[in-house]
Amino acid sequence: MADPITISDLTKVYREGQIEVSAVNRLSFSLREGEVVGLFGPSGSGKTTLLSILGCILRATSGSLKLYGNEVSTLPEEKLPAIRKRYISFIFQGFNLFPALTAMENVQLGLKMKGISGADAESRAKEMLAEVGLEQRLRFLPRDLSGGQKQRVAVARALAADSPIILADEPTGNLDHANGRKVMELLKKLAVDKNRCVVVATHDNRIEDIFDRIIYMEDGGIIRERRGST
Amino acid sequence: MFYVALRILLYDKVRSLITLLGVVFAVGLIFNQLGIFLGLMETSSVIVDHTPGDIWVTSKNSKNFGFSQPFPEYLYDHVASDNDIQWAEKLIVTWAIIKQKEGGTEQVELIGFNPDTRIGGPWEMKKGNLRDLKNGNFAIVDESAMKRLGNISVGEYRDILFRRIQIVGISSGAKSFTTAPLVFMSYKLVQRISDWVGPDNTVFIVAKVKPGANVDHVKERLKGHLKGVDVYSKGDFSFKTRKYWAVETGVGFSFLLTIVISFLVGMLIVGQTIYNSTMEHIKEFGTLKALGATNREIYKIIFSQAMINALAGYIVSLIITTVSVKMYEAGGMVMVVRGWVNLLVLGLTLFMCFASAFVSVRRIKRIDPAILFRG
Repeated sequence: MADPITISDLTKVYREGQIEVSAVNRLSFSLREGEVVGLFGPSGSGKTTLLSILGCILRATSGSLKLYGNEVSTLPEEKLPAIRKRYISFIFQGFNLFPALTAMENVQLGLKMKGISGADAESRAKEMLAEVGLEQRLRFLPRDLSGGQKQRVAVARALAADSPIILADEPTGNLDHANGRKVMELLKKLAVDKNRCVVVATHDNRIEDIFDRIIYMEDGGIIRERRGST
Repeated sequence: MFYVALRILLYDKVRSLITLLGVVFAVGLIFNQLGIFLGLMETSSVIVDHTPGDIWVTSKNSKNFGFSQPFPEYLYDHVASDNDIQWAEKLIVTWAIIKQKEGGTEQVELIGFNPDTRIGGPWEMKKGNLRDLKNGNFAIVDESAMKRLGNISVGEYRDILFRRIQIVGISSGAKSFTTAPLVFMSYKLVQRISDWVGPDNTVFIVAKVKPGANVDHVKERLKGHLKGVDVYSKGDFSFKTRKYWAVETGVGFSFLLTIVISFLVGMLIVGQTIYNSTMEHIKEFGTLKALGATNREIYKIIFSQAMINALAGYIVSLIITTVSVKMYEAGGMVMVVRGWVNLLVLGLTLFMCFASAFVSVRRIKRIDPAILFRG
């Protein structure tokens, strides 16, 4: 079976006036199922741009992006929501939960976007929130949850739909070390148990040991790559 | 999506309340202006509309029902003798001064009709009988004129056109566009006391065509025969009267302008609120897109918000308007709110709210994925 993500010669160029800036510069790699990959690098190194392209919410300037062997970089814009719906879930630093919806409803809404609704969505949302330890907080609004709990709701939302690829941007960025570590361990456990491909863009060196593989980026390119300690 | 939209609106209660008030204000004003305008239009042609008959003969170039000139009464015979005419009646409409009980005067619109046939007379009586107008100096006053005429009552005497006239009845529903009270008398009495009309003139001839005869054909034939007058079908004369007040006096334009301004104000308020709400939730909407939602799925949330605002504002406005109708009635004015008016305003309200949501929809379409990654 083809790898979840395969990129080759992937390039993203931004134009600022007369100046062209390569945010991602001729990257090539493959990511496997069950693999938890960390993208490390300073601000402006291109990790968020890369994550956006992998998530099909930003188009590369050139190069190839294949999801499970299917070329998606050449697909027209209107086909991309279906690709995201089928393959990809996101976790963001700012959680991005609807403040008016409870933890349960936020997860259900995420599921609805994946085409799952009704009783099925309700039971899956409950199950996933229980897995992230929030079975007592189902009816809580985001404002009544701590930062760590909000991020766990976001993790539940990302994982509930069984998307094979999870992309996370600074998931520990708004959390203290202990909570950040808990969230990452949870993400790792769920990813490994359910055989997901997880890509995490982060600055947080304290969680390096969580990853199976670490890619260091600078100026849009890969400067180093190593296997993780796990 | 409707549920999500509702939850978003309920979450920010203050903002939603302000939006609701904005919609209620705009829609209430539209209801109000439209209702009063239609009320004025109905009153402008109320006698024409309530008088049986298919054809109206008026003086040449009459602009409307209230401003017609006298013309020779003998033309009545030409009309009545037409083979396709079932009956014809003469009607006088003129202006007069009525003396108030405590002194002072008030202008009234006098209508002289035949009490035997009742054609052109009041169609609903509160007190008295139309036949009481016969054989004497008698008048019927409409109840809407009570305030203007100082609570006039049956049996009372008033000076109208310098004649002592006894009030013998009170009618209902006969209001004039100009708000001048309508006073009904027998045709013969008005013809006798009004110098303006004169003994050999009339102001209108109303005729009914025989069953099976074509109104337009009869009308055209009469037009050809009768010189110095105009001949209209009932509908045409009613429309001409309404058109005069609505278009030629500018009344319609001023009402239309207020309706348009109300519509724009409502659109701005709803648009501003939905746009602010969209911008506040832009990351969440972006996240839904990242999860695979199509633009259309997110538009559903935006348009649901617009629809909830529209329906809530409309319902509250309708309740206020229903109460207003009673208040206007008590004040002697007519405000028309009917099924089709309700549907029209509902359509305008939905259009106003949906149109205002388009700015937000455009914003959703252009969500920059970068915002999702900002903590």
